[in-house]
Amino acid sequence: MRAGPSQEEIRRHNLGTLLRHVHLGGPTSRAELTNRMGLNRSTIMALTAELTSAGLVREELPRETGRAGRPSLVVRPESARVYVLAFDVGVDRLVAARVGLGGVILDRREAVRPREGFGMPEVVAALAGFARQMHRRTRPDTVCVGAAAAVCGSVGPTDGVVRFGPNIGFRDAPFGEELTRRLALGLPVTVGNDGNVGVVAEQSRGVGVGCRDLVYLHGDVGIGGGIVVNGQLLGGLAGYGGEVGHMVVNPGGRRCACGSRGCLEAEVGEDALMELAGRGGDVVGREAVRAIVDAAGRGDVRARDALNRVGDWLGLGVANLINIFNPEMIVFGGVLRELYLGAAAQVRSRINTSTLVASRERLRLRISALGDDATIVGAAELAFAQVLDDPLEVLSRLG
Amino acid sequence: MSQAPVLELRGIDKSFGPVQVLHDVAFSVHPGEVTALVGDNGAGKSTLVKCIGGIHPIDSGEYFFEGEKVHVGGPRDAAALGVEIVYQDLALCDNLDIVQNMFLGRERRSGLVLDEATMEELAARTLESLSVRTVTSLRQRVSSLSGGQRQTVAIAKAVLWNSKVVILDEPTAALGVAQTAQVLDLVRRLADKGLAVVLISHNMNDVFAVSDRIAALYLGRMAAQVKTSEVTHSQVVELITAGRSGELGLQNGNGATP
Repeated sequence: MRAGPSQEEIRRHNLGTLLRHVHLGGPTSRAELTNRMGLNRSTIMALTAELTSAGLVREELPRETGRAGRPSLVVRPESARVYVLAFDVGVDRLVAARVGLGGVILDRREAVRPREGFGMPEVVAALAGFARQMHRRTRPDTVCVGAAAAVCGSVGPTDGVVRFGPNIGFRDAPFGEELTRRLALGLPVTVGNDGNVGVVAEQSRGVGVGCRDLVYLHGDVGIGGGIVVNGQLLGGLAGYGGEVGHMVVNPGGRRCACGSRGCLEAEVGEDALMELAGRGGDVVGREAVRAIVDAAGRGDVRARDALNRVGDWLGLGVANLINIFNPEMIVFGGVLRELYLGAAAQVRSRINTSTLVASRERLRLRISALGDDATIVGAAELAFAQVLDDPLEVLSRLG
Repeated sequence: MSQAPVLELRGIDKSFGPVQVLHDVAFSVHPGEVTALVGDNGAGKSTLVKCIGGIHPIDSGEYFFEGEKVHVGGPRDAAALGVEIVYQDLALCDNLDIVQNMFLGRERRSGLVLDEATMEELAARTLESLSVRTVTSLRQRVSSLSGGQRQTVAIAKAVLWNSKVVILDEPTAALGVAQTAQVLDLVRRLADKGLAVVLISHNMNDVFAVSDRIAALYLGRMAAQVKTSEVTHSQVVELITAGRSGELGLQNGNGATP
């Protein structure tokens, strides 16, 4: 049997917790931190002093409190000094961002990803190029404490290998390793699935703040998903869990890139919608989906029918998730924002007829608050994970 | 979620001369929820809203606000209670800037002059609390804004006055996809902040996307007020067009009182 945690472990834990409060909640007064963390004032003072001397936070007098008495100092994250690199590999776009502690996007680069002939080497080269450009513009006293990427494909939880990303042509691609090598930051690049990082982003900074049970659905060309159950991201045995896009909703339906038929992603994805609406391939991605929703709103019958069909399948997929997980919130992100808003009557009608009343009565259906940035924000949170777990160790390793 | 209604109407009748527009209408609005008010053209939606806003006096019936019976004799009474209405035509002045519009008729003064700094700060704080990032300058003239931005300003204007009930008349009519998404997101956020929101809309997707309850008017009668999680699209369409759908709605389809 193991003895209780040592004083050192407790201190490390408290440092991480305090930094996390400031990182997620923004500038917070010491008095407020005392309340939230349930520690006494002198402990909070000692912890802040330690984080301040490490250069992670800074203390300031508040501007105005409107109350009598000596104001409590406000602890702010050193956003301009401590940052991470976050990357997002979507089907049609590549994004790189420098994100400061506290979640501030300090700098970003974006490029269109061509659908043909742009495999892993090209993606890695483009992202590394962005990182170099952004690095050149940083001040010398800044420190990069992590790097992470979101990818639309199944990703191993520790090795950064993209096992299967049919929409971007990745298969058993050692993406994390390659990007780590090219960046040469002395830091490993963590890689996460777009749905999984999206749910973390919405839960920490988006529409799902405070939610302990939520499901995030991310629409790109396919459908990714992330499921949080009782505050924990559902990973499964090897971290591949939450692939809601490959839930079969229509046995014998459309062929899916995964080899199966009638997956949610095959019935609701971009290809199905475009085909049903009779649209050609010159406009793709979000713009194409928007154009169809717009046309349906203006009375285009074919677009309207296509949205209804797709909305019905989406409703069926979501209904299954509601019955299984009884979530507090379902968040529609990526192109599913537009799709849900354009077909909400269909989606909710299907949910209302196919779920148990008890499972849906307190459910809230929401669109992503972070919009297109959900994946990049989520990747940044993934990159911050280590420094929030053990702030001083990470800094000393880099220092 | 189901808190006591902040605003409740019972047995509202309203006639214009010989035409009875509202018959024995009951309507309730809950805090933290979006209540969609739907109905065909001429069903009485606008009249009902104008009765709530004090523009039309009601002939008979009871008006409760936060559980207390109140008398609303005019728009100022409604505004004093915390009821704000955003009309379809928005009532914004094109030649004024955003701050001037938000404080129109209720300007802050410091001594004899207008207190521009405070007004600008309050306007900025309101827009920020609604996470509105689409407006770049508060001193922009309203004429230079897009449809979605105008709608946003009109809604923010309603929220500025610590209102408890915000009524939106067709806020997404004539907007593009991206702007509709913006406005619907804002509507939802208002309710998530604890306000009671009434959304009048003909677009069933908008209604299903953001509402918690749906109230359907049919020929001046409240056909049904149901939870959005309990009905389907076709049921709502039947309530609007026929006043009933299966067990729901007016049991006598011609609109006569049962």
